Amino acid sequence: MSQAAVQPGPRLGIDVGGTNTDAVVMVGDEVIAAVKRLTTRDVGDGVMNAVAAVLDAAAVRPAALRNVMVGTTQFINAFVQRKHLERVAAVRVSLPKADGIPPMVAWPRDLLEVVGEQCYMVGGGSFYDGKAYAPLGVEELQKAAHEIRKQGIRSIAVTSNFAPVRPDIEQQAAKVLLSVLPDADITLSSEVGGLGLIDRENAALINASLRSLSRNVVSSLQAAFARIGVTAPIYLSQNDGTLISTDYATRFPIVTCSAGPTNSIRGAAFLTKMQDAIVIDIGGTTSDFGFLVRGFPRETATAHLIGGVRTNFRMPDVLSIALGGGTLVRFDGDAPRLGPDSVGYQLGERALVFGGSELTTTDIAVRAGQAAIGDPQRVKHIEQRKVDAVLDVTHRKLEDAIDQMKTNSKPVPVILVGGGHVLVSRPLRGVSAIHRPKYAEVANAVGAAIALVSGRVDKIYDFAALGRDAALEQARQEARSAALAAGAASDSVEVVDVVELPMTHMRTGAVQVKVRAVGRLAAA
Amino acid sequence: MYSVATDQDIQDMARGAVFLGSGGGGDPYVGELYLRRQLAEGRQARIVKAAELSDDAFVISIAGVGAPTVLVEHLVSTNTLLRLLEASQQFYGRKVDALISAEIGGANSMFPLALGARAGIPVIDGDGMGRAFPHLEMTTFSVYGCSACPSVLMDDAGNVVHVQTTTDRIAEDVVRAICASLGSMIYGSFYPMSGKQAKQLAVHDTISHTLEIGRRIRAARESQSDPIRDLLEFLNQPAEQRHARELFSGRIVDVRHETRDGWHWGEALINSGRGDTPEFSIEIQNEYLIARHEGRTVTLVPDLIAVLDAESAEPLTAEMLSYGQRVTVIGYSAAPIMRRAESLKVFGPRMFGINEDFHGVEQLVPESRKRA
Repeated sequence: MSQAAVQPGPRLGIDVGGTNTDAVVMVGDEVIAAVKRLTTRDVGDGVMNAVAAVLDAAAVRPAALRNVMVGTTQFINAFVQRKHLERVAAVRVSLPKADGIPPMVAWPRDLLEVVGEQCYMVGGGSFYDGKAYAPLGVEELQKAAHEIRKQGIRSIAVTSNFAPVRPDIEQQAAKVLLSVLPDADITLSSEVGGLGLIDRENAALINASLRSLSRNVVSSLQAAFARIGVTAPIYLSQNDGTLISTDYATRFPIVTCSAGPTNSIRGAAFLTKMQDAIVIDIGGTTSDFGFLVRGFPRETATAHLIGGVRTNFRMPDVLSIALGGGTLVRFDGDAPRLGPDSVGYQLGERALVFGGSELTTTDIAVRAGQAAIGDPQRVKHIEQRKVDAVLDVTHRKLEDAIDQMKTNSKPVPVILVGGGHVLVSRPLRGVSAIHRPKYAEVANAVGAAIALVSGRVDKIYDFAALGRDAALEQARQEARSAALAAGAASDSVEVVDVVELPMTHMRTGAVQVKVRAVGRLAAA
Repeated sequence: MYSVATDQDIQDMARGAVFLGSGGGGDPYVGELYLRRQLAEGRQARIVKAAELSDDAFVISIAGVGAPTVLVEHLVSTNTLLRLLEASQQFYGRKVDALISAEIGGANSMFPLALGARAGIPVIDGDGMGRAFPHLEMTTFSVYGCSACPSVLMDDAGNVVHVQTTTDRIAEDVVRAICASLGSMIYGSFYPMSGKQAKQLAVHDTISHTLEIGRRIRAARESQSDPIRDLLEFLNQPAEQRHARELFSGRIVDVRHETRDGWHWGEALINSGRGDTPEFSIEIQNEYLIARHEGRTVTLVPDLIAVLDAESAEPLTAEMLSYGQRVTVIGYSAAPIMRRAESLKVFGPRMFGINEDFHGVEQLVPESRKRA
């Protein structure tokens, strides 16, 4: 049995969002204290404020914390806004293949102006069955490295053909580059993506562009915790709701880019003890719908754009609609029109109940008696039929979105989190039950605090040679080993996902297999 | 003649190529990027009508052969395609005057355009099926007298294989075996033909059709109108022997995928959200072959079946279908040349093991469903 299960000391979960920094202290399965603070320009300051406050409320000494878990949207925001990115070099090991489409072909111009267009293609790579089709171009790599040094670039993304099957080819290429550039930050595509060279290469390049930012953010967080006196190991949440070390996050910032919605979905699951549900996070401006399947967010099946760049990176499947507690309400005669604009974080000044002059969905909720916030006298004049009409539209919008997320017609339970949950007062069509757990407003910080660690495999196996059972068992083993390497307690690792995709135009037997294993974090 | 001059045109063509692929042909994303790369380097693809060529012009089809999953790793090599073109001209003993795509649906719509742009050779506005099919012999070229062979195959290492077989059906098996032994992705020259043959045997204007379809969907989306209604209005032109029907709209409740002998087989079940009994089914053999509504056939091969995202009208290949998607299914008539008796003997329903006679979508479904 792992140490964590024996001594469940207090741990800290933090979610650093664009607007708010939320923090919770948990012991075992219990939330001891929770706070919400504004996010500050320097992330460390906001984190310090929130952590000091939550430790105070929980009456826990900083040194008593066993683990600290942080979820942050810093990196994805930086990439989307093209801020704090560094120049990168793309090294592709693929010749004589793939010269027709060099790296970064379809990247947005404004992004290329920031990260540059340094691309190198050299010999090497593998067939789908793992057989190398060309020797590694060692001299070409050395030449590229010298050129990269001349350009003053420190961060390099290395991508080779069928790297998920032969990651060693990328590792060898990295070794050659490091022999010339010992201080370079190197991202290997096999470490950040699955099959699909362009999408995987893009993910590696995005990651490379965030390396120096991630070093700064992580060290700023570490410094903030050190100042408060927190000595526990710090982990970051990644997109699938599992944890990574600060060292790993420094090297792979891209894996944190959608941790925000993931943590809120996982937090909702934890607070309700539910495994399968639709989670609706109703904020000030939007409602975000996620699908909880066996305790984890459902992920997108298709390629998607991050800041205008296509990747096949694993992300939770989240649907956002423009409906939140700050959404503006207008009337065409008696017919209400909701949004899409919102007063957002200025709800506390601009909404009627808070003394403002604008009618929002929150004002309607107060008038309808669903929420007791602000001054109800200020919304008394709104006619009942108008209130009913707004509630009709609000519920219908939510119902339509729920319908879009569902996979069959069976009624599903819904978990409401986020401050805007007061907008919902009626049963929803197609929904079996509505859950509003305690601490719903800090569900994302709870999601960070309860995170697990995971390991994944995405490779082509030869079922004809190995036999299906043996091949799947091999894939499972590899996923389990990856989870252990990521810090899982060995007794807790469990395979949660196995997907088989047979391949056409190949000798029968080639099957792409994706396996994911997760486990509880082993105590440090 | 016109040129493909913008990234947006290329993206529209790729979207249209998925639509015409009838579920098969692979994601044209790799081809799309390859063509955009040519454009970025200042090379535009030139598209000509077959009628603009002289009768004795020399035309070949250049195509990629392989697994879509391998294509997305190995991508495409300009060096290989230029060497293939050179080797083909040597082998056939003729300079190539124009390229033609054998298959407009999916990835192979783009490679001739990109190579044409790179090598300065025009591409004929047409192809050999107006859709996608899984076999080499399933083209109007082959049915009406232009053989796929002699053919020149090449891999990225420079291995060259000349293929000469007695029938295109045998060529299909031979090319497939060679492809598997060379890493499952190769390129080839097929269907050497004269300008006169191109005029007589091709399904015409299909490149322009991909562009128009892609444009319609995008324009409707941008103007916030119903893209599926707009698309149906555009496609359904009975006076031009083009018939389009909305067959069904609903949610995918089950998709089965399996590989048999290197082919992708499967079935997608769709219902309209009332109850769990599937109301609508689509059978997949690489492409969508037959659509049935409550057991009754509503469209079958060689007519096209397109599965679109119900909201955005984005066309979906068979590999993209997954549980829970909301989709609209459209039946679209194949070109008249594709529906002749000689054609049906090669790619009619019975060639895919479907024990039914072919009937056009306009006979099977006299009227489109009413759109809400």
